[in-house]
Amino acid sequence: MGNSTPPPHLRVSRIHKRFGGVQALTNVDFEVARGEVMALVGDNGAGKSTLMKILAGAYTADEGQFWMDDRQVTVNSPNDAADLGIQIVYQDLALCENLDVSANLSLGAEPVRPGWGFVPRMLRPIDELAMEVKAKKATDQLEVRTLKSVRAKVGGLSGGQRQAIAIARAVGAESSVVLLDEPTAALGVAQTGQVLDVVKRLRDTNHAVVYISHNLREIFKIADRICVLRHGNNVATWNIADVSADEIVVAMTRGLDEGSDFAA
Amino acid sequence: MQPESRPSLVDRLRELRQTRFGAFVPVLLALAVIWTYFGLAVPIWEYWTNPDAESLRFIFLSPRNIYNLFMQSAVIATLAVGITVVLLLGDIDLSAAATAGVCAALLGVLVLQGVPAWLACLVVMVVGVFMGAAQGLLVAYVGIPSFVVTLAGLLGYQGLMQKILPTGNLNIGDPFVRSIARVLIPDLWGLVLAALLVLLLIAALLRRQTLRRAMGLELDTQIVVWGQVVFFAALVFGAVITMNSYRSLPLMILLLVALTALVGWVTTSTPFGRSIFAVGGNAESARRVGMNVRRIRVACFGIVGLMAAIGGIFGASRFGSVSYTAFAGGSLLLESIGAAVIGGTSLFGGRGSVWNAILGALVIGSLGNGLDLSGASAADKLMFSGAILLLAVAIDALSRPPTGSVR
Repeated sequence: MGNSTPPPHLRVSRIHKRFGGVQALTNVDFEVARGEVMALVGDNGAGKSTLMKILAGAYTADEGQFWMDDRQVTVNSPNDAADLGIQIVYQDLALCENLDVSANLSLGAEPVRPGWGFVPRMLRPIDELAMEVKAKKATDQLEVRTLKSVRAKVGGLSGGQRQAIAIARAVGAESSVVLLDEPTAALGVAQTGQVLDVVKRLRDTNHAVVYISHNLREIFKIADRICVLRHGNNVATWNIADVSADEIVVAMTRGLDEGSDFAA
Repeated sequence: MQPESRPSLVDRLRELRQTRFGAFVPVLLALAVIWTYFGLAVPIWEYWTNPDAESLRFIFLSPRNIYNLFMQSAVIATLAVGITVVLLLGDIDLSAAATAGVCAALLGVLVLQGVPAWLACLVVMVVGVFMGAAQGLLVAYVGIPSFVVTLAGLLGYQGLMQKILPTGNLNIGDPFVRSIARVLIPDLWGLVLAALLVLLLIAALLRRQTLRRAMGLELDTQIVVWGQVVFFAALVFGAVITMNSYRSLPLMILLLVALTALVGWVTTSTPFGRSIFAVGGNAESARRVGMNVRRIRVACFGIVGLMAAIGGIFGASRFGSVSYTAFAGGSLLLESIGAAVIGGTSLFGGRGSVWNAILGALVIGSLGNGLDLSGASAADKLMFSGAILLLAVAIDALSRPPTGSVR
């Protein structure tokens, strides 16, 4: 199982993470390929978020290896992850509502006009037009629906649009792996559809997408594979076509007795 | 122009409201109300009710009074510009007026000791930066709320000013210092300068429009472009012509505008300025994209310290003296914060502009000046200023985006 899938783009193996007396992750393997959506599920406390944060460099694993395209790498900080093209979209999005879409998409990496080398970078004039072009490209690429203008303030956007902007920001940062932490948790049906479209667009543009969600119907709609964690252990990784919702729920809540097939 | 989507006049005005100048509208309206009341309503009322009056006397709106109004508001405006920068962060500086007082007192003492005045001005500006940045360090690295740090700063700097000026008063006759408020730009030059500024704006807007077309970006409508030009021209020429008709454009006003332009440009058009808005809007977001939030805080408090020092120099120049009550111990602090907030800068951070602070200072200055002219007592003035400040803050609180995360 899983042998027919494309070679992994990002792979971690034998990840251990302990917080004080709590063993959060034990010997966990995880992988995601380009052009696929890998769902990551598990009950509360299963270790999904911990694994996600380790992938994003927000936590450092106690043990374990990182591989990008079969090259071993180290990720000890969010900057390390960003340098490798790994971007995370947190649940709270971390957008500045008082700034417009294009400013948010370039936040912290504003393009500056050439010819101002004699002043520190922080005090050079921002190239607003280049910034807008970049923003338009990012939002067009993801086909963010209903967004009237990249000059609209984020504070005036809907929840789905904001999620899409946050994803666009992750993509705009030259990323190849995008980690999404429950992107639809706070959204209604129509907005969720919009976000799922954006996630599909990410897959179509050859990104590797990791998708945390509690909503199995959503996962069946967009995921290619699914990885189930329980009590900080791998339970199973399936192709989504080979598994039923019931099997996933059982794996999440009780684990699999014959799970030795799936353990790494 | 496409015939199928002709925007209505209201739509176009709404577009205009979205531009940089659109943010001036509420504070300009407030200014218009105050000027109409003191300038037209009060004189007409007095003329009607007083049978002995021989003619209508528009004292408030006389060029002489408007000129004085600008000069009176200049010190408030200088401080308000600095305070706006920390308000954008979501912080506050209660020590700005005391900082201005310490710097003015230091300037007076240095000049008295025979230090060249230009050098003394530079020294107090550096001192101002340090006084502000020191508080910024406590806010950013120790994590004390800015309200508390600067409240302590207010008390400490008030005391420091009293130490520097044991008598509480010092005359400054130095010609260099006095010249800042006394030198006038010749009438013609003032007009030429105004015309140049307007032409510069037109050139900038048209160049932007051409570039936007070339890059395939959405274009501003004609009414937005020319509306901004007309609005800006009316403001600039209105101010210059009024001051010319009494004396001329004072150097101090020109310096204030130039400083505001510089601070305004830094806050709106550089990565540093963008980071100020980002910290004020969502500090966690700013941190996650790799901004050094602490350094930004310290830098902003340094800027407010610098503006306070310059305000101190302006004040010393205008009054020809330094006194405790004119700076640290008087109403300057609340007037400056009031000016920034009345200008439309949010106390919650992330929204506002330094230009609005200047207009806010004019509102505060006009209110004080108008009440003085109508013979109101100091008590009335305090109560009126309080009410206006409360109104401005209430509008700020109500106009906050309702969906924002509550912090």
